[in-house]
Amino acid sequence: MILDQLVWPLALVLAALVLGPYLLAVLDGLVARGLGLTRGPGLWLAPLRRGAWWLIQHTNVTEAPDGRAWRLAPALYLALAAGGLALVPWSRAWVATDIATSLVLWGSIEALATVVIFLQGWSANTHLTLVGAYRYVALGLSYILVSMFVLIGVALPAESLALTQVIISQQELWNVLRQPLGLPLFLIVGLAITFRGPFNLADSTDLAGGTSADVSGAQRLVWEFARSAMLVAFSGIATAAFLGGWLGPWLPGPLWVAFKMLAVLALLAWLGPAFARLTPEHCVSLMWVVLLPLAFVDLIWAGVEALS
Amino acid sequence: MAVSWLARLAACAPVPVFPALGMRGEEALYRLALSPEIKLVDSPRHASLLLVAGGVPPSMQQALRRVHDQFPAPFTTLWYRSTPLVELPRAAVTTVDSLDALPGALVESHGSLLRNTVGHSPRLLPDAPPHPWQGLGDDGHGGEGMMGGVPYGRPMAMPPTEDLRDGLALDVLTFRLGPFFPLWPPGLEAEVILQGDIIQQFSVQSSPFPRALAPVFHEAREQSVAIAALERARARHHLQALFHALHLAGLEGLARDALRLADRCPSGDIALLAKWFKTFERRMKRRGFFALHLPERGALRQEQAERLGGFAARAAGIDRDARTEDDGYRRLAFATITQQAGDTRARWRQRLAEIAQAFDLAARAQRDDMRTAQTDAVETPRGAWRDSRPGGTSPLLEDLLPGLEWGEALASLASLELAALSPWPREERAETQMGGAA
Amino acid sequence: MELLLFFVILILSLGAGLLLQWWPSRHHPMPTYPQRAPFLGGGLPDTHAWSRFHVRYYPMALLLIAFEMEMMFMYPWAVVYVAQGMKAVMEMGMFLAILSVGILYGWREGVFRWQ
Repeated sequence: MILDQLVWPLALVLAALVLGPYLLAVLDGLVARGLGLTRGPGLWLAPLRRGAWWLIQHTNVTEAPDGRAWRLAPALYLALAAGGLALVPWSRAWVATDIATSLVLWGSIEALATVVIFLQGWSANTHLTLVGAYRYVALGLSYILVSMFVLIGVALPAESLALTQVIISQQELWNVLRQPLGLPLFLIVGLAITFRGPFNLADSTDLAGGTSADVSGAQRLVWEFARSAMLVAFSGIATAAFLGGWLGPWLPGPLWVAFKMLAVLALLAWLGPAFARLTPEHCVSLMWVVLLPLAFVDLIWAGVEALS
Repeated sequence: MAVSWLARLAACAPVPVFPALGMRGEEALYRLALSPEIKLVDSPRHASLLLVAGGVPPSMQQALRRVHDQFPAPFTTLWYRSTPLVELPRAAVTTVDSLDALPGALVESHGSLLRNTVGHSPRLLPDAPPHPWQGLGDDGHGGEGMMGGVPYGRPMAMPPTEDLRDGLALDVLTFRLGPFFPLWPPGLEAEVILQGDIIQQFSVQSSPFPRALAPVFHEAREQSVAIAALERARARHHLQALFHALHLAGLEGLARDALRLADRCPSGDIALLAKWFKTFERRMKRRGFFALHLPERGALRQEQAERLGGFAARAAGIDRDARTEDDGYRRLAFATITQQAGDTRARWRQRLAEIAQAFDLAARAQRDDMRTAQTDAVETPRGAWRDSRPGGTSPLLEDLLPGLEWGEALASLASLELAALSPWPREERAETQMGGAA
Repeated sequence: MELLLFFVILILSLGAGLLLQWWPSRHHPMPTYPQRAPFLGGGLPDTHAWSRFHVRYYPMALLLIAFEMEMMFMYPWAVVYVAQGMKAVMEMGMFLAILSVGILYGWREGVFRWQ
């Protein structure tokens, strides 16, 4: 009882929190290799080496930062990612936080992520980081609606806002097939919430690193780690909402979840660097004028499908 | 010991290098971008090594000191064809003069830095706040009215200024950027006034360092040269410029591809180069490079385009090219390519078209060993070189950039070539030009 | 019980994030003032960065509030949707249609442009 409800879910969440970002870094390394950015042996060691360098480098301080908020931001981002992972059902019994409103809680995590990313850029009180922070908020305010409409879509056939119920409702057919628009839209949200690839408005190259421009050492380590952890949490939610979570033949549920999460991570790691960064203006228009109506269509599709 | 295995692990990491480019430092940048063991970064906060490539004029040494002091410890410096700052201790300085030895030297420096066998670079500037504390109250506010004083060493952003786009009067951020800002031409120094993320005012304080061209352009002014060599050098120049724009767009893989193509330009098989370039161009379009550049952003007015000349003028619809005056080119049935819009996007379309054209011209010229027929006008990638070399045109930015969003402004800047043409070709040593820098 | 575990995970990760930042730097000296200046490629700022920043997406943010309100109605609606059947479809369809007109109007007025 205690084992099933506390120990195993906690162990799985912590394992995903530590291993997930590491594996994502390895996947990123593989993609970078495919693009010809790195070479040679050490694919598995490269993330650890980079981490070791960040631990050795001194943490930077700016002239008059909001010091406490600045150090809190990466830790909060990590906590949000961990909170997201806690919602992921690993099997019917093993769910760290099995509440009736887990989709709503995930929505609030997405919204708070915007606040935390803004905080990271704002607290430094430096110019390039500040521009990055405000720029990201434009994106953060735009993707949240797309995300919520798509997630409401998966709640319709489940008649519940609990992720476990959403998975159970997929027993006959996974949502990725039943609501074909859902997953692609949700993947875009995943890139946006971790500001990767085309949606890297926060830490973009034109701002010399954006919100990270004046961040170094251990703080940067935690920031990049949290950013990866958030994508891992996101892949967990995507797995539960669209890919049938623990459902699958032969293997035990948690393994299926892990495989599906890895597949989502690999897809996102490959998609991210494939596209040029959008300008903030483009980003906002795209989200509101193209993706949001598509999310409406997805919702209507899901509704009609759920009634038939 | 715990720290030592951490250091050993970190010593094998890709070497994070912040390049501060002086005169003729680009070659080092292009080489390092293709070295997988080096990771070029855009902020000193992310680097363990300061690479100063090329000569730094005396007027910019204070700025270099400031960049140097912004590195978090531990870090050290490496100087490529450059004279180290005199106050740096010998232990914290490595000098390298050969391009081939550069990546190795950087890896070596990073390794010894973490093994503590090389000196950490010391701080050069005095540890004093930018302004002494002024004002009253807990936070130093007050004193002279609400926003008076210098709380925490600097005044607050003031005064409210009317915005260019919507006229709303909010605070503006005023700062000086450069000359070692890695995302714009080396040497460019400007006072930027931002209102939100839109540039309100841009005043150039020092022009970018003169840009050195391949020696073949200089030879073409003196004697007849092979058209193929000239066109290959032209393609190479534009491809290297593309590297910066692609990096700015976040397309790191394609940026490297552009450099790889550029490296093959001088001697590679021309048919193969043209084919690779076609693939490269297609990929660039598919990955949304042009979507980054909204229409009409960074558009030059007619007289500005004329002043700038070269591809920038042709991108604005001015049908002018010194190659049309050359009999050699005429026999190749050379025809100028032009675009109409004259904006950032048109300039990149123009440059891509000119690269493709250069490969085509080179292929045909090579077959019949065609040579240039005249020496009094050479079309360089920077514009026509007639009686005088194309000069610097960076004051044009003061007119062009205000009103643009930050990212758009940098993209426009990357699509232009504003530096004057250096009187010396590229392969020459940088020291001859440095004058009193040492 | 579930929420207990949620808070345990939150606090563990928050603590780990803070510890990981504090532990390596606990003996580091305060950086010098020149190091602490904002990175501007060798240049210096006139003022602090904190300011009344001109946010260009202000109208979009207002539009978002309308939709955020709507999301609150949508959560309970999703749960009873299948039970209510066609009636729920019509209700939400109307609601969304009205909001969509709002988006179209906003788009026409240039709400999503950088103004």
